[in-house]
Amino acid sequence: MEFREHKLENGLTVLAEMNPAAASAAQGFFIRTGSRDETPEVWGVSHFLEHMMFKGNEQRTAHDFNLAFDGLGAQYNAATSQEKTVYYGAVLAEHQHEFLTLLCDLLRPSLRQDDFDVEKQVILDEIALYEDQPTWRVYRELMAAYFDGHPLGHDVLGTIPSVTDMTRDGMLRYFQRRYVSGSMILVGAGNVNFDAMVAQAEGVAETWPTALAPRQHPPAPDHRDQRVLTDADLQRQHIGIMSPAPSEQDEQRYAAELACSILGDVTNSRLFYRLIEPAIAEDAQVIYEGLDGVGAAFTYVSCDPAKASEALGLVRQELKTFQDGGPTDAELAAAKNKLASGATLASESPMRRLMGVGNDWCYRHSYTPLEESIQELMVVTRQDVQDVTRQWDLSAVSLVTLGPLESL
Amino acid sequence: MTLRVPVGPIYDPVGMEGAAAVGVEWWLRGAGDRDTRQLNDALDSLGCRHSEAAAAYFITFAAAQVHQRLPEVLELYRDIMLAPRLADDGFEPSRDLVANDLLSLDDHPAQKANVLIRERFFPAPLGCYHLGRPEALASMTAESVRDHVLGNLAPAGSILAVAGKIHWDELRDLAEKHFADWPGRPAPAAQTTPATGGFEHIEKDTAQTHIALAQPSVTLESKHYYPSRVAVCVLSGGMSGRLMTEVREKRGLVYRVGTSYRSLKSHAGWFTYAGTVPEKAQETLDVTVGELRRLSEGISEAELARAKTQLKSDTIMGLDLSGTRSAWMDSDWHHLGRVRTIDEITQAIDAVTTDDVMAYLNAFPAKDFVGVVIGPEPIDTGVLEA
Repeated sequence: MEFREHKLENGLTVLAEMNPAAASAAQGFFIRTGSRDETPEVWGVSHFLEHMMFKGNEQRTAHDFNLAFDGLGAQYNAATSQEKTVYYGAVLAEHQHEFLTLLCDLLRPSLRQDDFDVEKQVILDEIALYEDQPTWRVYRELMAAYFDGHPLGHDVLGTIPSVTDMTRDGMLRYFQRRYVSGSMILVGAGNVNFDAMVAQAEGVAETWPTALAPRQHPPAPDHRDQRVLTDADLQRQHIGIMSPAPSEQDEQRYAAELACSILGDVTNSRLFYRLIEPAIAEDAQVIYEGLDGVGAAFTYVSCDPAKASEALGLVRQELKTFQDGGPTDAELAAAKNKLASGATLASESPMRRLMGVGNDWCYRHSYTPLEESIQELMVVTRQDVQDVTRQWDLSAVSLVTLGPLESL
Repeated sequence: MTLRVPVGPIYDPVGMEGAAAVGVEWWLRGAGDRDTRQLNDALDSLGCRHSEAAAAYFITFAAAQVHQRLPEVLELYRDIMLAPRLADDGFEPSRDLVANDLLSLDDHPAQKANVLIRERFFPAPLGCYHLGRPEALASMTAESVRDHVLGNLAPAGSILAVAGKIHWDELRDLAEKHFADWPGRPAPAAQTTPATGGFEHIEKDTAQTHIALAQPSVTLESKHYYPSRVAVCVLSGGMSGRLMTEVREKRGLVYRVGTSYRSLKSHAGWFTYAGTVPEKAQETLDVTVGELRRLSEGISEAELARAKTQLKSDTIMGLDLSGTRSAWMDSDWHHLGRVRTIDEITQAIDAVTTDDVMAYLNAFPAKDFVGVVIGPEPIDTGVLEA
């Protein structure tokens, strides 16, 4: 697969990983802004704005946009995280140009007051939707506990009061400050024509504001918190644990990913044999979450409330044993094969590659071909994995439990 | 690769509902001369990403790996099919896991609404929740589940589908080598009883009210099949679909609303879901059902064209994923006894006219709704009767 890169005069970077054998062409804008870049009076604005971008401008209404995207047979969406907002999609290769026209057009929204008022109701519904998902409630509370006082500590969706009180003008100011060419990239993957992408971007993006939107990087807080949320209506006890891990920029991220897989992949991991195989818990996973300048390992367990204390004890024991002894050769080899195979299979999809290439650039300003990232994974040693679990202390945790129990 | 064996939940004996799901949890706990850990290590060392699931007619074993590893992976699956250990000590934890998953459904009301609507809509046991019932799980023994699973496990009715970088002759030879001596017996049959139908409100203190509806549609063999898919797409294909436009975009009633087509071999339906805060639940139901009914007043040529483009585009872009291709092949084989080509599908979609869609909607108007609502307060379902 061929990789190309070009920087426009106004600072917008255009990248593509081309695979002429693919049926689809994926393209997307990555904006380096998210909930961590918000001030408290507009908590939730990154995500709310992402919705508002689809509401149209002087040329097109929201419905015009929807009709045009669907008329191309596009699979498209947008996503907002703590650190990125992405507008992306895939179409058959012959529609590359029209799809990019729509994406570029999307990025110049009118942010009309009446659209803002209707969409606010949709956002409040989305917040309610996640309230009915215990795993999400645990994760949100855990981020708040672990990153207390840090910009990563508040929820991407915002809160019911912060969204209710948000104004259209506050959103516009955020948009003008954060959606600037120096903080955006345009990425293509799959069956895309790179020169055509660049030519098109040059034509439309030259009027976009040239600047770089700064980001604060306070250190991750080192205090640790334990929170018990009691909800008598729940059947199961949901337990979340968060501990330090390397950042997306850290070379140790490969070792961290392997450590989390060996400890808590859904099958054939330490927690699988300790908790799932004997049916002490029905769900137990450890997920590595690399972020900009910081990182975290997220452990999630769901079980019978009567077994919650036993399950938590076993998790702590496994974390400690792993920290003390590290992985076996067989465990490390199996985890490498699993991750490498997963990455290879995911690379079949231009949309997945788009995300990979975009993330690489957002976090590291570099491009890593799939073979190279697999190679990086393959050279990790047992010692590297053990080092990562010691340096990033797995026992320095924040803990949240949600369920019928009043204490744990 | 997907390997489906016809021991799915619909064949669970009466009083043993959930047996197939227990079988799935139990199945990979050792096969041939490997115990659980050795079997998992062997799969992992081949870079095989695998999953097992029980749904409707089948237990499905899905596995994905780089193409060079397929021969070794198939060899492992021979052991998994022909020599699963299903040892006594693995039974109780397997059953407990299923019982736990069944309980945890209560913590996920959106998912629960979708489980209950299937149970009400499809004849029993076709739509029954694969995790079964607590009392049935409690009464099962290692022996009864083993006898049921192994007694029905047979090559007849099983389907092996592989997509990706493969050569047909090699695959055929490998399948012959590993599975030719799999003892045959007749494929099982399930006795069905009519669907419960009707409407149910489950009072629960949830943040959203979860509304699930179902109405009858046609299976893949019907002449109305493609018109039905086009009609669903007009309603719910993309953000410009009628439901998104009317329920979300214009009125801000929901974050999530949509209709999807779901089919078993003998029965099919349109399933609609909407989730909203309780204060907006009544209007959401009324507007949603209004849109389902308004379809029969006609669709425009532009809507038809957009729906056809979306359906074709999804089909062709799916070709980029070998997992999608293998799932599509084995689904076609199950439903039709053959695999449709891309050309056949896209031509059939192209051929649909607005008259075809109207003929379908006349034959299957928006009525005979089945409904499930989970939320803190009941809502008036008069609109479903109109």
